[in-house]
Amino acid sequence: MQLINEQKTGVKCIMMWDKVRNTMGKLEIQIQNILKYFAPLFLERKGQLKIQAQNICEYFAPSFLGKKAQLKIQEMAFMLLAVFLFFILVGMFVLSIVYSNIYESSNTIREERTLSSLVALADSPELSCASSKSNCIDGDKLIVLLNNSVYPRFWSFTSLKVLRLSGFNKAENELTSCTFANYPNCDIFQVYDKKVANERALSSFVALCMKESQGEYVYDRCEVARIIAGTQINFEGEN
Amino acid sequence: MSFNWLFSLIVGGFILFFALYAASQFVKTSQKTTNTEIAASILSLFDPLETGVASGKSSQIDFVKQSQLVFDCSPNQNIFGEQRVRFFEKTFGDAYGEAGERISIKDKYVFVEDSIQGKSLYYFSKPYFAGFKVADLLMLYSDEQTYCVYDANEDFMSEVSGLNLKQIIFMNATTRCEGIRVCFGSNQKNCAISVFENEGYVLKENKKLYYTDNLLFGAIFSSPQTYECNVQRLKHRFDALAQIYLGKIEVIQRSSCSVTLGPILLGLVDFQIDSSKDLSAFQEKVKEMDAINKRAKDGCKVYYDVG
Repeated sequence: MQLINEQKTGVKCIMMWDKVRNTMGKLEIQIQNILKYFAPLFLERKGQLKIQAQNICEYFAPSFLGKKAQLKIQEMAFMLLAVFLFFILVGMFVLSIVYSNIYESSNTIREERTLSSLVALADSPELSCASSKSNCIDGDKLIVLLNNSVYPRFWSFTSLKVLRLSGFNKAENELTSCTFANYPNCDIFQVYDKKVANERALSSFVALCMKESQGEYVYDRCEVARIIAGTQINFEGEN
Repeated sequence: MSFNWLFSLIVGGFILFFALYAASQFVKTSQKTTNTEIAASILSLFDPLETGVASGKSSQIDFVKQSQLVFDCSPNQNIFGEQRVRFFEKTFGDAYGEAGERISIKDKYVFVEDSIQGKSLYYFSKPYFAGFKVADLLMLYSDEQTYCVYDANEDFMSEVSGLNLKQIIFMNATTRCEGIRVCFGSNQKNCAISVFENEGYVLKENKKLYYTDNLLFGAIFSSPQTYECNVQRLKHRFDALAQIYLGKIEVIQRSSCSVTLGPILLGLVDFQIDSSKDLSAFQEKVKEMDAINKRAKDGCKVYYDVG
């Protein structure tokens, strides 16, 4: 029974396949008929298009290819320019760091020089005491230096002053500046001040001696004082 | 070769050239900066050698690499005159790198050859008096300079020995020395530097360098040009100091002191020193001033000669 059923199904399949083949054959005939009517027209137009395309290529191909090359060069040039600018920017960044270090080191050197000069200043011939005392300033020379226009160009300090013991506990506005007239009854010797911006002051303690007399007897009266020298600090972008 | 290749080569070459040029310039600038910094720092090292009340001080500077210092001097720059120093350092091989900027020295009197090189610098200071102390003289030489000193007098020998100076050898029958021959006394054969004590001059490079006081050291250790320039600079400093002392006379006259030093001090300010040859005449005048100052009563002396 099972065998008979299988044979019946096989016969059905063969019959269906024949139907499909007949329909496909009809479709092929229909397409061939359509092509018979329209093919010449279609082929003519296809030929015209080919000729037109050829003509277009003849006229536009060289400039189109040139434009493509130009674009490529432009791309490369922009890329190179970008790389170039990038490295320049990096270089400028590095330089700015390096130059900020230069400012720092110049300030350090200047401060070191001020400090080393300041320590030696009390023993310089301009300020040293007449009687051979070390680290001692002669007040009688100092008062003469107050109106001197030559020494500000000789010393590297931007300002120089000597604060007497009497001025140690006074506020700046309470200090009496020394002049030839009020000397020695004063608090501070303002030797000179170049009035620069960004000044850093360094100081050192010294002995300050001045001539005094009691009747015929002339002697040196000494006291502690503070010598204060200024040095200019430079910052990047200034000057 | 396609255009792309040609374009890449030209532009690439240009960028490479620019990069190399920028790098070399950067290295040069860095070298210049470092050398300028070193030159400026060296000047700070000279400050502790201010003698104060001492008769002399000495020290030395050691460099890591072989270095060179080049000096020049102008006597009339900025009232007091100035010296300038440039620093070089050996970089690759035997060549010296980019020089640093010139650093000016206004308040020091460096007696040195125009150019010195070596890995160590020796320097010592001596005060210079023209009545009062005028300045400290700074003598500078390198480890590549050896001074063989013949027939030196006792004073010179004791002063040099007291400072414990290196590279200065006092010759006797047994010592050997190869270097710059410095001759005192009568035997002046084959000497680079001859000291004529009685005449008061040093003969160096066929030039007579006249000296007084401790300027003898300056004449031995410096080039004739530097010496003559520094003598003039010292006179400028003397003039400025004389003005201070003239002012001081006015101040101490208020303290019952009668000072008669003014006119001779003014005379010394007006004294012209065109070369070291004028020094001995100047010194004669200074001696006159000293005599007047010494006559002043105690406490009223304008200066105390500790030289």
